[in-house]
Amino acid sequence: MFRKILVANRGEIAIRVAKACKELGISTVGIFSNVDKTSSHLLFMDETVWIGESAPNASYLNIDAIIDAAKKTNSEAIHPGYGFLAENELFASACEDAGINFIGPNSKSLTLVGDKIASRNTVKKLGVPIIPGMEMTSTDISKFKMMAKKVGYPVMVKASMGGGGKGMRVVHNENELEKSVAAGQREAKSSFGDDSIYLEKYIEQPHHIEFQVLRDKFGNCVHLYERECSVQRRHQKIIEETPSPVLNDGLRQMMGEAAKKIINASHYTTAGTVEFLLDKNKNFYFLEVNARIQVEHPITEMVTGVDLVKQQILIAAGEKLKLKQEQISQNGHAIEARIYAEDADNDFLPSPGKILYLNEPSGPGIRVDTGIYQGWNVPPHYDPILSKLIVWAENRKSSLPRISNALKNYILLGLKTNIGYLRRIVNTENFIAGKYNTHFIEENEKKLKPTNENLDIALLAAVLDKGKEKLSLTTETSIKSNPWTEIGKWEICKNGE
Amino acid sequence: MKFIHLDKTHSVEKEKRDDTFQITIDEKKKYDVSEIVIQSNLISFKANGKLYHINFAIANDKQYYSVDGENFVLEKEKSKTAKTSTQQKGNTVFSQMPGLLVKVPVSVGDKVKSGKILAIVEAMKMQNELPAPSNGIVKKINFKEGEQVDAKQVIVELEIKK
Repeated sequence: MFRKILVANRGEIAIRVAKACKELGISTVGIFSNVDKTSSHLLFMDETVWIGESAPNASYLNIDAIIDAAKKTNSEAIHPGYGFLAENELFASACEDAGINFIGPNSKSLTLVGDKIASRNTVKKLGVPIIPGMEMTSTDISKFKMMAKKVGYPVMVKASMGGGGKGMRVVHNENELEKSVAAGQREAKSSFGDDSIYLEKYIEQPHHIEFQVLRDKFGNCVHLYERECSVQRRHQKIIEETPSPVLNDGLRQMMGEAAKKIINASHYTTAGTVEFLLDKNKNFYFLEVNARIQVEHPITEMVTGVDLVKQQILIAAGEKLKLKQEQISQNGHAIEARIYAEDADNDFLPSPGKILYLNEPSGPGIRVDTGIYQGWNVPPHYDPILSKLIVWAENRKSSLPRISNALKNYILLGLKTNIGYLRRIVNTENFIAGKYNTHFIEENEKKLKPTNENLDIALLAAVLDKGKEKLSLTTETSIKSNPWTEIGKWEICKNGE
Repeated sequence: MKFIHLDKTHSVEKEKRDDTFQITIDEKKKYDVSEIVIQSNLISFKANGKLYHINFAIANDKQYYSVDGENFVLEKEKSKTAKTSTQQKGNTVFSQMPGLLVKVPVSVGDKVKSGKILAIVEAMKMQNELPAPSNGIVKKINFKEGEQVDAKQVIVELEIKK
């Protein structure tokens, strides 16, 4: 087992990984950029190393600086988290060259599965259905035009590397194509340091369903069932749940087996996810393999009881997977809501700034994977994710009021967040009925608008909270009675008394 | 007192009556407010018989309130920033959010058509393209590519031909 791991990430996922390390008795090394000197992930690290200026390219995407930090601290392994360098084969191979264990697949299989084009071609050979489209990336606009014509509009332009919807665009006609290709390249370059993009047919009204897989170095492979990720804004997931309300057992088994087949064929070792699209006739298509721990991994942990990050570390350390497929089942229901620093009611514009007040929910079946604290300045340089709220309940019906109440009790003031918006989502008729696809946000746009029905109450509070009336009607609460002083003298019992 | 919420001004008048306040919003909606307790970031009160617990925070010109799971940001009317419209004005292009100015694909003196992208601001991995509000000539560029800009800061100024 490793003695020391460098966590090459920031925010909630760096904390999540550090906690898993601690439970396994592994010491942790954290990294930080200029703007992250006071970020909360550093509190969970035994050592911290500054790796560069605030811009991602100078810090969390800076392969040389991170490898240096690992060498300097004698770290035996690097956990990349998600985003940044998590699926970058150059980084994985730099780790290999430096004799450091990259917690993820090796650079060779990363090239295969991290690269969406390569994995499409691999999967096609396995007989798992794929979406029609380009078989290689291109910078030649005429190739995009040709394929778009062949498969028919609408089409989707996608970044070959990375995920999370970055660099992805739906194109409805040829006029939009050139602009979308350029914008997609730019975004792919800034998000993943690689501007390769390709085009495929756009599947309408799909469900986005993914399967969690674990595979060890001996080829033992299990799946841990699905995550329904169809609630997306700008192709980025914001609410996920498991089990999916649309899968039946037969389809679930079929997709789970297909996921394992894909992972086995890629000789991929670690925790990974196979993403599928399910069309309205319940045909599924392979979408991509995510060669990393995913943002939404906690819902799988809640229903299966398996700690995925720990499993990922154990697999990287060369241990044999102890889990057997027949031991893994879905118990109860889990939902995750991603808390973002963004103005959900104004085109989801990013909203960095200072957190003036924070009170996160807790209680039975409530988990918060957080990376923030009151008084912290959320910087504009990185992803807007602040934390994740995850709830578990014995079934879907009970999990709905649980997440709604937990969101209501998630209080964050000082910058715009999507918390109110998420709560409106889970309270829509369609979400409650489990009847939604990836167009949920557009289709429910009107219902997701804030009603402002409580604006009056906020205005009342605004005229009252000044205390200008010198609190003639208000009572500053203070502890008037103190039992320790009122009860009298105390004495600790002696043995036997 | 007057507060601005999403570009709309609301009047709130408070009158003390025995052990309650009578508060009138927008000159028509009346609330009887009593049992007010304030404790650090929490205010509790009864309004028309219903009990509320509201977390709040105040910084600079802005006041933040969380009521029943929804946040409200209020500004006092007198504050200057509140008067800046969130709409692009006729001859300026300003950032919608704090972020990094990644591209200004025009130079001073360039003739531009309405809708032409004059600046791209990036924050939190999202790019916001800022189009020209009308036809004109680029008069001034206030920032260089790679510089940090704040929300509502003017990046490009145009000269509009009448």
